[in-house]
Amino acid sequence: MFDLFSDIFTYRDNALTRIDPRAKLVIALAALIAVLTAERVVLPLCVFGVCLGTVATLRIPAKLVTARLAAPLSIVAVLVVIQTFFTGTTPLFAFTVAGWHFTAKAEGLRQGALLGARVLGSVSVVFLLSVVTPAHRIFQAFRWFRISRNWLEIAILMYRYIFVLMDQVADLAAAQRLRLGYTARGRAMRSFTALAGSTIIHSLEQAKRTHDAMRLRGYRGTMPFGPLPALGRRDRLITALCLIGIVSARLLEWGVSK
Amino acid sequence: MKAIAVTGVHFTYDDGTEALSGVDFHVSEGEFVAVLGSNGSGKTTLIGLLVGLLKAKSGRIAIGGQEIGSLSAEELYKRVGLVFQNPNDQLFAATVEEDVAFGPRNLNLPEEEVQARVTEVLTAVAALPLRGRAIHHLSFGEQKRVSLAGVLAMRPAVLILDEPTAGLDPAGEAQMMQLLKKLNREERMTVILATHSVDMLPLFANRIYVLDRGRVLQQGPSEEIFCHQEMIVRAKLRLPYVSRLMYEMKRHDGVPIDGLPLTIGEARAQLLELIPKEMILPGIEEIGP
Repeated sequence: MFDLFSDIFTYRDNALTRIDPRAKLVIALAALIAVLTAERVVLPLCVFGVCLGTVATLRIPAKLVTARLAAPLSIVAVLVVIQTFFTGTTPLFAFTVAGWHFTAKAEGLRQGALLGARVLGSVSVVFLLSVVTPAHRIFQAFRWFRISRNWLEIAILMYRYIFVLMDQVADLAAAQRLRLGYTARGRAMRSFTALAGSTIIHSLEQAKRTHDAMRLRGYRGTMPFGPLPALGRRDRLITALCLIGIVSARLLEWGVSK
Repeated sequence: MKAIAVTGVHFTYDDGTEALSGVDFHVSEGEFVAVLGSNGSGKTTLIGLLVGLLKAKSGRIAIGGQEIGSLSAEELYKRVGLVFQNPNDQLFAATVEEDVAFGPRNLNLPEEEVQARVTEVLTAVAALPLRGRAIHHLSFGEQKRVSLAGVLAMRPAVLILDEPTAGLDPAGEAQMMQLLKKLNREERMTVILATHSVDMLPLFANRIYVLDRGRVLQQGPSEEIFCHQEMIVRAKLRLPYVSRLMYEMKRHDGVPIDGLPLTIGEARAQLLELIPKEMILPGIEEIGP
């Protein structure tokens, strides 16, 4: 759980963390569009490989990579299976399990592989962005894209209090575990329900106290943001080069598909 | 001039709990006042009233000579600032810099002035190296100092702190109290401290108010407050440990001690007078008060 939200790597000093978040966001968006509109598996898988290779070069622990990619990988597996067995007409192979007859189809497998590759490519882009840019700098970059201030305010508060609530949940869960709250299935269910209820109450109380604290420092319904600095020449150059690379790759892929 | 004037204030919560009944509380400009009381004595309610989070059922509250109800939110929060007991309640931005800049930006100050204030207050609380750090990466002591900086950036005339040393280790506690002393003595900032921790107060507070079940039991300088043993016990408080030792030595062992020393420095001076001169080694290092 804590690995899932850990952001300590974003505060390291390396070539990628030094790039302006707006530049990274533009590049990431372009990569996402290219991956999601890809018609063959090659481009998304290449993006996936490049992102994972970069993550490995940055020495991000495998534990964190696994924790963050576990859910999307499961989705990919389900997608490929469903598409393979429920889409298409050309049979590849067949088998029977407990009286159920399954036939894998070529079109389904192709379609599933493409969808799976798109998911992997997209997730790896977002994952790479998340390990080289702190969340608050991504929010700052969103302001540049004219995203609603209210949405950003909510996102900032959510991001901040995820960590506070996680600490509280960890303490409460430990307190329950120490009093044998998770030793049997029924007991564990009750403990978990109590934990969830308690977390909701804690978060409501926390919201009230935080709102009071904000009022005491002049909050009038809109969170003030500092000015955004101009995008540097180096960052503009990096953005342009990356965009040229992504667009070329997409055009090449489009040409090959035709 | 009175920085804070509270007269005959009553407050009852919606569930019928009478938290304050007929409280008078006055603080002059530049004073360092402690509100001492056990849990449930009404300290937090009093603070809530002073910063306008709660409204008194009856009585009068004036901040800097003006009725609290007649002040706009902006005027009020330029006059009083509150540092919460739990820094997590107060630190809501992603980074230290963003959080400290929150108040000045709400005052619509130019960005250069905002940045100048951020640098100034972070320097004052010895947290300048934390400027770009994420709040959730800070230790509890660092969070406490940053939350103080966030309030100082509003430049309030009166600084109110709810249990500022709760949860801090001894070094953090001493650092926080020295910081408050500096703000009070050098910046002439009025400081009001709500606490039930008695050991450090004689060193810092000009006056102490003792609250018990919503009433002021006694107020005055610390030497006056702590000589009323019965009142201290009634308020579910205790003497500072050093005073308790000297009190017991005087009561049970007949050690001739004048008055009641409240600090280690005072106790040491009295004990040195009782120990024969030839037994004292000269040149031992100096100790603090």
